[in-house]
Amino acid sequence: MSGPEVHSLSPSPITSHAFNGDRSLLAVSLNSNDVTIYSRQGKEWEVTDTLSEHDKLITSIDWAPNSNRIVTASQDRNAYVWQESQDTLTGKVVWKPTLVLLRVNRAATFVKWSPNEDKFAVATGARAIAICSYDSENNWWVSRHLKKPIRSTVLSVDWHPNNVLLAAGSADMKARVFSAYIKDVDSRPPPSVWGERLPFNTVCGEYSSPSGGWVHAVGFSPSGDVLAFASHDSSISIVYPGGPAIYTIKLNSLPYVTLAWTAEDSLVAAGHDCQPIAFSGSAGGWQLVGTLDDTSSSKSSGGTRGFGGVGSGVGRLNSAAFHTFRQADSRGSGSPTSATGSGGTDTELLTVHQNTITSIRPFSGSADRVAQVSTTGVDGRLVIWNVNNVVELTGKMGALRVQ
Amino acid sequence: MDSFRKIDIDVFDEDVLLETELYDPDPREPSQVLDDAKAKAAAVRSSLSKGDIPGALSAVLDNAPYGPNVDDAKTLTLQTLVTILNSTKSSDVSNIVKSLSQDQQDTLMKYIYKGTAMPGWGDVSGSVLLGWHEKLTEAAGIGCIVRTMTDRRIV
Repeated sequence: MSGPEVHSLSPSPITSHAFNGDRSLLAVSLNSNDVTIYSRQGKEWEVTDTLSEHDKLITSIDWAPNSNRIVTASQDRNAYVWQESQDTLTGKVVWKPTLVLLRVNRAATFVKWSPNEDKFAVATGARAIAICSYDSENNWWVSRHLKKPIRSTVLSVDWHPNNVLLAAGSADMKARVFSAYIKDVDSRPPPSVWGERLPFNTVCGEYSSPSGGWVHAVGFSPSGDVLAFASHDSSISIVYPGGPAIYTIKLNSLPYVTLAWTAEDSLVAAGHDCQPIAFSGSAGGWQLVGTLDDTSSSKSSGGTRGFGGVGSGVGRLNSAAFHTFRQADSRGSGSPTSATGSGGTDTELLTVHQNTITSIRPFSGSADRVAQVSTTGVDGRLVIWNVNNVVELTGKMGALRVQ
Repeated sequence: MDSFRKIDIDVFDEDVLLETELYDPDPREPSQVLDDAKAKAAAVRSSLSKGDIPGALSAVLDNAPYGPNVDDAKTLTLQTLVTILNSTKSSDVSNIVKSLSQDQQDTLMKYIYKGTAMPGWGDVSGSVLLGWHEKLTEAAGIGCIVRTMTDRRIV
């Protein structure tokens, strides 16, 4: 089977990424105020466009695959919807922004189109989620706020396939499921495991992270009947609302910040551990399956650096930085080069991503049978992984248990 | 000049997030928590006299006191735990930490960090704690340290 496809897009961190419907165009935020649009030229990605309107860092981008609209959220407390239209003067097709009236006094942190692409949710630092729908009379997007009982910054949101329910993970250490029903947009949703009558701002579920970590990522399963969330206490939880339980997997590694379901019984999560990890399970229980990043093959020939046991505690502690400090401590050698020998290359990780993975998205396949996922991270790389190339972490992960 | 930086702005925010809202409180009354801690200390003494260190350790790590108003129980539990850690042969540590459940490992890590933050207190010995910390990190990974840092249920 083929290995992951790696593209180094930029030397700067990638805050967020989104592909268009046919995956020929890619929008990323390179830790700046602009959206950079790349188009696929053979095996390479070339910059073709830059969308400038925000005046602070763009935190999140989402691209509606069918209506071909981009929505961006930024720390400048605004969101814009970008649509391709013909410029009246030059006749060229350009991306035109439409302002969204968010009415919040803190940064917008995350944005996501609903499945029907007729509304979107903007998570904000103002303890609120703005549910935005289009007002054709005024040609702008208006918002209604989900406020109660959010107690802190909302870090991520995800839509249920029924276009009404919304999951939100926030820094008050809770994942919640809300109704984001808007009368003019939605028809009445059929009853589901999350409830029957669903007026706006109904709280259908509230779940705490097991050891008090911010909830970084939330995701509904393809059917919408199961919710997964990853939190900063190095754990991932899978919720079956109608019973039997919440399954929590406590990890040996650093916390995850992003996750994507790849089928009804499997998901992939990634974060500070720098590699995507696959989980699988069902209503009977969940477990960690392995990593998509085969650190033991090709790249590990690079040397016997201590990072071999990525995921295991002791491997991490034996990293180059650890050695440098230990040398300095025990032998008094202060210069990093004398301790590591060959200088800067010793900081290279054995994983494909060289720093935290900040976003993961389904790339190809259908929603309930994803074949590939794409990840971007602080190292400025875009990587496309085959979901089925799972390598076991056995031995490296030590005792990993599901409760 | 910078005195405005010291103003507690949370006082002026009526919707402020309080410490107590960050975690679920211990369902037990403070007095009961203290009684439990005392009972555990006695159980640990008898386990130790039989040389049953894993039993002593799991007894003290289950239902450890946390939250406000239980300082006496916290102190007693730390004292009991330090006794166990000090009386374990360093060659046994590795197997003992592996035999603990994941919740117990997380709680043990909290106490190790608490102990290292109180040098010279009681029988706390830095080298013993660091020895346990090394073996526990090998068994439970850095995830265990991360949970110690994030968890507001401070022991």
